Amino acid sequence: MAKRLLQGNEAVLLGAVKAGATYFAGYPISPSSEILMAASVYAAKHPEFRFLQAEDEIASANAIIGASLAGAKSFTATSGPGFSLMQEAIGYAHKLGVPTVFVDVQRVGPATGMPTMPGQGDILQTRYGSSGDYTSIVFYPSSVAECYEYTIQAFNCAEESQSPVVLLSDAFLGHLNEIVDLDTIDVPIVPRTLEPLASGHTRLFSGVATYPDGEPATADADEFIRQYEEAKERRLEVAERYAFYEYGWNKDAETLVIAFGITRRIAQPLAPHFALFRPIRIWPVLQDQLREIAPRYKRLIVIEGSDGQYASVVERVLYRDVHRVPLLGGRMSLEAVREGLDRIGLLPRDLAEATVS
Amino acid sequence: MSYKDKLKTELFPTIWCPGCGIGLIMTQLAMVMDDLGLDKTNTVIVTGIGCTGRMGAYMQFDSVYTLHGRTLPVAEAIKTVRPELNVIVVSGDGDLTSIGGNHLLHAIRRNPSITVLCNNNEIYGLTGGQTGPTTPVGTKTVSSPEGATFSPVNLQGLVNTNGNAFYAKTTVYHQGQMRRAIKEAIEWPGFAFVDITSQCIENNGRRIGFPSANEMLNYYKKEYRQAPPGSTQLAYHQLGIVKGKPAEAEPVAVGAGSKNGSGEA
Ligand SMILES: Cc1ncc(C[n+]2csc(CCOP(=O)(O)OP(=O)(O)O)c2C)c(N)n1
Ligand code: SF4
Ligand SMILES: [Mg+2]
Repeated sequence: MAKRLLQGNEAVLLGAVKAGATYFAGYPISPSSEILMAASVYAAKHPEFRFLQAEDEIASANAIIGASLAGAKSFTATSGPGFSLMQEAIGYAHKLGVPTVFVDVQRVGPATGMPTMPGQGDILQTRYGSSGDYTSIVFYPSSVAECYEYTIQAFNCAEESQSPVVLLSDAFLGHLNEIVDLDTIDVPIVPRTLEPLASGHTRLFSGVATYPDGEPATADADEFIRQYEEAKERRLEVAERYAFYEYGWNKDAETLVIAFGITRRIAQPLAPHFALFRPIRIWPVLQDQLREIAPRYKRLIVIEGSDGQYASVVERVLYRDVHRVPLLGGRMSLEAVREGLDRIGLLPRDLAEATVS
Repeated sequence: MSYKDKLKTELFPTIWCPGCGIGLIMTQLAMVMDDLGLDKTNTVIVTGIGCTGRMGAYMQFDSVYTLHGRTLPVAEAIKTVRPELNVIVVSGDGDLTSIGGNHLLHAIRRNPSITVLCNNNEIYGLTGGQTGPTTPVGTKTVSSPEGATFSPVNLQGLVNTNGNAFYAKTTVYHQGQMRRAIKEAIEWPGFAFVDITSQCIENNGRRIGFPSANEMLNYYKKEYRQAPPGSTQLAYHQLGIVKGKPAEAEPVAVGAGSKNGSGEA
């Protein structure tokens, strides 16, 4: 039993190490930089762990792909603007089928935005940020202990699905300090699944559409669809084993609150009045679970740090309108949640009267 | 063993236009690989996007066909994780010096022990012959109808900002010299860049007045001169190798893959 005070970002690094990561590349950006700095400190003491502070996020993203192909479990960490720069490489990793982990500690965008303020505006970027069709797998913890746990799960899932997996966090969660006992979190580690480069094969790891023998397949729809469907099927099948979510609070209430990441923690005082559905696997969207749980409730409210990104997904999945409480400009607080509920006329009376401590 | 064992000859003819210079580079590279005992268990090829980038598909090695411009971060990471491997980058001038320019700047600075063969056809071949950062001033292309305006990037100057790096200038006409340059580059302990002038007959040469690849090769024969031995700076159209001091230190743990470090981690 080793209880300790730990920060969300540091927990990500520890989770990665636990999962067997031996390569990190990154570029400093708030609010993710602690992961890069902790990785450099770790590398200085553990020569088997390689660290690169790259020239930019494009280099970082491509470096972790190269490292993974070479045989290392690899990862990077960034925030909105850097995550945008990584999108082409994320598509490339999907095309190749490279297990690797991208950590996105969200701040308020677009552009440079509000560098130190928490946001949740990358929900759709994690799904649709790169060009073309691909099957994203994304997890979003909501505590320091979960940052550790789901970093390990992200690495495991990346190996099993042979695809890049995104771990979302946010400025609030990344900088949150909580007392945790990592020894109580026991996640079996999935070993490497990709045979490393120079194992005696003559494989072509190609971002260009190619036939298995390496010839260009750049005008063959059938071959394209065959490869696409095969990859999609594998990822969806694996993701099913990682269908993490939380369903709780007052399940007998009339209204279901949907909140994830730090927002779920902020909204905790709503517990007596609402039921809660918290997706931890953000993508693929937890469609079956939502379709099973949501019909039990008269109303749905999505509370999130964007102007309705996840709410629009829920509406699409359920063919049903949801109420929205967007927490914008970094105002991710109980006060902002109360204001948002009040605006849509759904603030419980005793919460309106209570003073925030 | 023959150099042909390094090639997937069953995929020939290649996708390249008849008369293209890329095949001449591939042949010399395959010969050097044969000489040095490079095979699929000790060597990885990394290529970029462009006509040149197709080369990896034709070679009997694991080969990473990266995004446009991203060969160097991929290659450097492979070398970091697997220092025992020979990592050979083959890519176009546009890929390496334009879209990948920032990576080039920093790979030079970090000095990973990788080999870069730059097929310098002074043009964006694959996309139809647009001007790029290596196109000589005045060259008319499909995107510089009045002639290219800006001075080409000084690759030798850039590479040799790192006192431990290796730069070679050669052409596909000068086969023997190209072969020596590739061999020495692969053996070099640190960053090695081979700048190979070659002809893109279809999307450049013919448009600037060369009836065929043969005339382009003859032009290289006529125009390019060997630099005096020991030159530290190559003049325009001079061929030669400018070597820094071979790095002695092995990679240190942090900033792994770098040979600039003192070794005292
Ligand atoms: C991000 C991105 N931008 C642009 C392109 C289009 N593109 C493909 S190859 C190329 C230029 C190739 O020129 P070079 O690197 O000199 O190779 P060459 O064809 O001459 O061998 C460009 C611009 C691309 N594939 N990706
Ligand atoms: S377009 Fe130019 S560079 Fe490309 S294959 Fe043809 S001749 Fe070679
Ligand atoms: Mg070119």
